Amino acid sequence: MTFDWTGVLSGAPLIWLQTGVVTTLAITLAASLLASLLTLVLLALRLSERKLARALASSVTELFRNTPLLVQILFWYFGAYNLLPRDWRDWINNDHPWATLPGNVPLLTPEFLASAWGLGMFSAVFIAEEIRAGLQAVPSGQREAAISQGFAPWQVLRFVLLPQALANAYQPVVGQYLNLMKLSSLATAIGLAEITYQVRQIESYNSHALEAFAVGTLLYLAIGLIMGRALLHFDPKRRRIKKLLHAAPVISEAADAV
Amino acid sequence: MPIGQPDPSLPIIQFKDVRKSFGDSPVIQGVELSVKRGEVVVICGPSGSGKSTLIRLVNRLESLTNGDILIEGESTAGLKGAALRKLRSDIGFVFQQFNLYAHLTAHENITLALDKVLGLPKAEADGRANDLLARVGLADKGQHYPAQLSGGQQQRVAIARTLAMQPKILLFDEPTSALDPEMIGEVLAVIRQLAESGITMLVVTHEMGFAREVADRVVFIDQGQIIEDAPPAQFFGATRHPRAQRFLEQLLSPLHGAGA
Repeated sequence: MTFDWTGVLSGAPLIWLQTGVVTTLAITLAASLLASLLTLVLLALRLSERKLARALASSVTELFRNTPLLVQILFWYFGAYNLLPRDWRDWINNDHPWATLPGNVPLLTPEFLASAWGLGMFSAVFIAEEIRAGLQAVPSGQREAAISQGFAPWQVLRFVLLPQALANAYQPVVGQYLNLMKLSSLATAIGLAEITYQVRQIESYNSHALEAFAVGTLLYLAIGLIMGRALLHFDPKRRRIKKLLHAAPVISEAADAV
Repeated sequence: MPIGQPDPSLPIIQFKDVRKSFGDSPVIQGVELSVKRGEVVVICGPSGSGKSTLIRLVNRLESLTNGDILIEGESTAGLKGAALRKLRSDIGFVFQQFNLYAHLTAHENITLALDKVLGLPKAEADGRANDLLARVGLADKGQHYPAQLSGGQQQRVAIARTLAMQPKILLFDEPTSALDPEMIGEVLAVIRQLAESGITMLVVTHEMGFAREVADRVVFIDQGQIIEDAPPAQFFGATRHPRAQRFLEQLLSPLHGAGA
């Protein structure tokens, strides 16, 4: 068996792959931002004093956590999208040169919007749960200390509990953002021209299935590794340890004292 | 020193028929207690007697079931929101488990509330933090995180954090119970200094030597009621309630108490 890599890495297939990478990066970024925003909303509801808000957040969580993402994306694209006002849909369908990335990757399309929203919503539910678990892992004494100093409830959360919860939850949360990137491959089902879509296009164009999927896999791997490294670089615990190492002489002293 | 003090002869803390129940079980049953400005009151009693709950009621870490606690003659039973937070910022609380903010350095532990609660300028907050760290003998530990400090050092930082708020009243909830024996002394030394500075203190502790030396009064509680309230000389001397006597015997000679 011989491999023909030029059938994948030259001519039209190469351009398709480039477009695919740009699209995957764009959808990952857009959906991540959306997911972060929705996480804040979900957390605000979850931590609310109002029972109704908490109930709403937990139903949304259960709904999106326990149904397949592919079904959710299909629902947003084929179902919910059509509930938008006619004018909006017409406007979205127009050409928007200002919202087009290099490689002719349009951002304002029903496919992109439905994918970003679907991925964002799905991921937000998981991220919010990770952070909630991180909050629960903060000892209750931290809250009591802050209350006894006269902090307002939102300040207790903002300055004492959340920083620790985020540090606790950081690694699992990074895992969720990486998942989001990988799950963006499902958007191929509604015709978003990301990496997986392009790989399949190459396969039907010149039947170089093995080569095309190998290259596609490597592209995901590369994006995943870079993204993972970059995000872990900002790990608050890692930074704390770094700061610790800078104060090395005093530490050994403290260790002696213990 | 607090400005605009009301009548200095007025008790700074006054418990009035204070009751607290957790569900159906009463923990504090009608406590009447009055503390004068500058007084150091040691509260002791067997475990589960309600002594921690009693001081947690003062800054409302626990809600009152009934009664009222007057602070400088003002009722606090109905306080909510900003008024309650103001009360809390005026009352320092030192925990058994230190409860230093784990994500912040010793210095930041002290300045956080100065900045966010009192709204002090950064320079002033930093100044207070440095002064207080020096006062508790930890001038060189400001940049250390709690996990890098020994238990005794953590508790001294916690005391410094509390003092930085310049409270009118200090509450201590078994401040040395979670410490290794060799570190108890350094923390008690700091608390003893504070007692001499004239600040009002309520101290829940099992350190009877400390109580004898530092307290103006010793309050013994059992099953949520004050059984005895006396100056240390009298409490540790002759006349006292049999339950307090048994408690002291067990504390001073645990083997004897357990074996008997």
